[in-house]
Amino acid sequence: MLKSIFLTGLGGQGVVTFAKILGAYASELGNKVSTFNSKGMAQRGGRVTSEIRITDDPSLEFGSRLAHGGADVLIGLELGESANSYSFVKEGGLVLLLNYKYVPTPMVLKKEEYPEMDAILDMFKEKTDKTFGIKEGQTPHNIFVLGVFASLLDKFPDVLPSFSAKGLRESMEKNLKRNLEENKAVFKKGLEYTF
Amino acid sequence: MKKMVIGNQAIAYGALAAGIDVASGYPGTPSSEVLAEILAFSAKNEKAPYVEWSTNEKVGVEVAAAAAWAGKRALATMKMSGINVASDSVLSLAYSGTRGGFVIYIADDPGAEAGMPEQDSRVFAMWAGLPVLETTSPGQAYEMCQYAFELSEAIELPVILRSVTSVSHAQELLEADFAYHKLDREANFDRDIFRFTKAGAKICLDQHQALLDRMNKAEKLVHEKGMNRIGEGDGTLYAIGVGNVIPYIQETIKGVSGIVPVYMESSYPLDRDLIREVFKKAEQIVIFEELEPVAEMLIRSEANKLGFKGKIFGKIDESLPRVGKYSINEIKKGYALLKGESPEAPDKAGSISVKHPITFCTGCPHRGSYMAINRALKKTKLGKKETIVTGDIGCTILGMNPPFDSCWTEVSMGSSIGLAQGFALAGMKNPVVATIGDSTFFHAGIPPLVNAVQHRTDILLIILDNGWTSMTGFQVNPGTEVSFQQNEARRVSIDKIVQAIGVDAFDVIHPFEQDKAVEVISDFLMKKGVRVLVSREECALTKGRREPFEKTYDIDPDKCTFCRACLRETGCPALAVRPGKEKQRMWIDPELCVGCGLCETCCKFDAIHEKRS
Repeated sequence: MLKSIFLTGLGGQGVVTFAKILGAYASELGNKVSTFNSKGMAQRGGRVTSEIRITDDPSLEFGSRLAHGGADVLIGLELGESANSYSFVKEGGLVLLLNYKYVPTPMVLKKEEYPEMDAILDMFKEKTDKTFGIKEGQTPHNIFVLGVFASLLDKFPDVLPSFSAKGLRESMEKNLKRNLEENKAVFKKGLEYTF
Repeated sequence: MKKMVIGNQAIAYGALAAGIDVASGYPGTPSSEVLAEILAFSAKNEKAPYVEWSTNEKVGVEVAAAAAWAGKRALATMKMSGINVASDSVLSLAYSGTRGGFVIYIADDPGAEAGMPEQDSRVFAMWAGLPVLETTSPGQAYEMCQYAFELSEAIELPVILRSVTSVSHAQELLEADFAYHKLDREANFDRDIFRFTKAGAKICLDQHQALLDRMNKAEKLVHEKGMNRIGEGDGTLYAIGVGNVIPYIQETIKGVSGIVPVYMESSYPLDRDLIREVFKKAEQIVIFEELEPVAEMLIRSEANKLGFKGKIFGKIDESLPRVGKYSINEIKKGYALLKGESPEAPDKAGSISVKHPITFCTGCPHRGSYMAINRALKKTKLGKKETIVTGDIGCTILGMNPPFDSCWTEVSMGSSIGLAQGFALAGMKNPVVATIGDSTFFHAGIPPLVNAVQHRTDILLIILDNGWTSMTGFQVNPGTEVSFQQNEARRVSIDKIVQAIGVDAFDVIHPFEQDKAVEVISDFLMKKGVRVLVSREECALTKGRREPFEKTYDIDPDKCTFCRACLRETGCPALAVRPGKEKQRMWIDPELCVGCGLCETCCKFDAIHEKRS
């Protein structure tokens, strides 16, 4: 198997940490993992993406970058960047979006409307039924959404074989360096989130 | 030992395993982490190579080249643009060859993710006559880097180790000892003007022939090494992958029957023995490589020479793209071409998109500098639309974006100053302004400033000095505070250099003290001659990592009228619309604000105030 996960958001939301936790967990399960982080513009209001590729075949060589239509899983922590990542999702893939909007300066100045989550979810539903939108999250966004994702892993075990909510939680606790108790609580809230 | 590393770190450890004595480079995405890792290693280990961030790539190459001439192994690192800067020396060094292994690491950026031309530096290798070894993954790069030094010593020629963003920044588990295998060598160098100088036609022509002989030897050794190979499969359809596209072929070829993969980990000189093997059975060939058809041109050339009658698909026949990076989709398209099938339609972008333009970080001093420039242009009635401001490479170029819309041009390191001169003497009505960063000034800004002084051109140069080479990851430069320099390096004074060159007017301003800055810039705009201002304040991110910010700012919703002047003038990421369903008001995110106070200078309603923590 070769699975590909695409994470996106803005600088400060914890996209790279999210990727680190997923990658570490995948690695602990005995998989070969490659992670590509694009974070150069994180401090400058720009998009951050992480591309994670996982295989259980240690002899398989594979490239680090996802193709358009190559993501089995898309997780977006910022709504606009989630919409911008539409082309990466595979037909029938899993899409999980957080309803957090960072309204860019030109939009505030021109009083333009920021697209609503429902419209974006409808757009993704053209490609896959497994589309989920979190109406309201908690900070830190990455840990909350990680919790929600964990619940979906148990609900859809074929998405990432051998991944489980329990395993992901344990891996998160091992790999986070700061604010462990706070993060455990936020993860639990995410795990219990009902759509 | 196993560690998660990115490609650049793997290359750093490869160089340490190869026992380099000297490592030099100039910061540049996507190459910077190589030298940064060796620097971090040297800070923690007593036995370590000499490592420096050089003033520019040309100096870096010269430092490494001479160490290699003295018999030591040396590494010079750079992004793709860096080889352009170093090219004058590299072309000459290729003629002289090397004694100790000398590896030049160049990182290209197919897809232009780092915002520079997606130039193909392998074309430079053809120009210079140097072998190119490609990287395909962090693990492979660790090994290839070590081989690069072996090859360099075997042929007595510098070798180019080439990477791309997708490998340099890919992170994988690497198993290695992560140790420095220091070589026991004494420095020595004998005088030989026939080898190490160029003055004289016979010297040059002899060296040119020597270079060609070295390249032929490289081709033979690389072929024997077996890094270029024909994969498993039968048939007459061949898919050749060059460099980092190889893993995309490897992950897809198993699901495809009737295509024989060919993997080329060196792209120059062409491994002609391998290609001749391919021509024996192939009837149709597709060539996958990013950017320019370097290997493709050479393969087509060889096909022509040998009378190969089969069909070749690639970029030259416009089957595959020349712009942007490749993914599995381009590989699948190539397979379809070989099989005479219609390729799948590519996935399209969604119907909804949101642009998040990039701007200065919260608290960036450059925000203050460009605000002051714009205010001065308004105050002097010269006007933003009528006054050219040339920009340069680095964080300063973000002044080109809204809301500043300041910089009009960006060409290469240091070009802002020469361009400003050109505009001035072309007869532009308004004064011409050039802006440049501190690291960039040292890199390439000094010669054009000398030029302006010598030729008495009327320009205003504003050096935006934030004390670090920030855009590429906060490396030190000659102007960085001495206490932050590494290995007891010294600080070089921009102020003294500028004044020593003999400019007509000089002053230092503080970008957060807007009133004074606007006054001085307005004054300097109206003067004649070569005027230089240094706008100096430390980068907010480097400062923020050391000490907490003393204050933040707050907006009183009762006084705010939502005129949005603060956002319109500063574009600060900490400014947002107040969350909640009440009347719309501006709001400062306390998690982001670092207390620079620039927003306060914009508010006519006294709604913004300091909040001491």
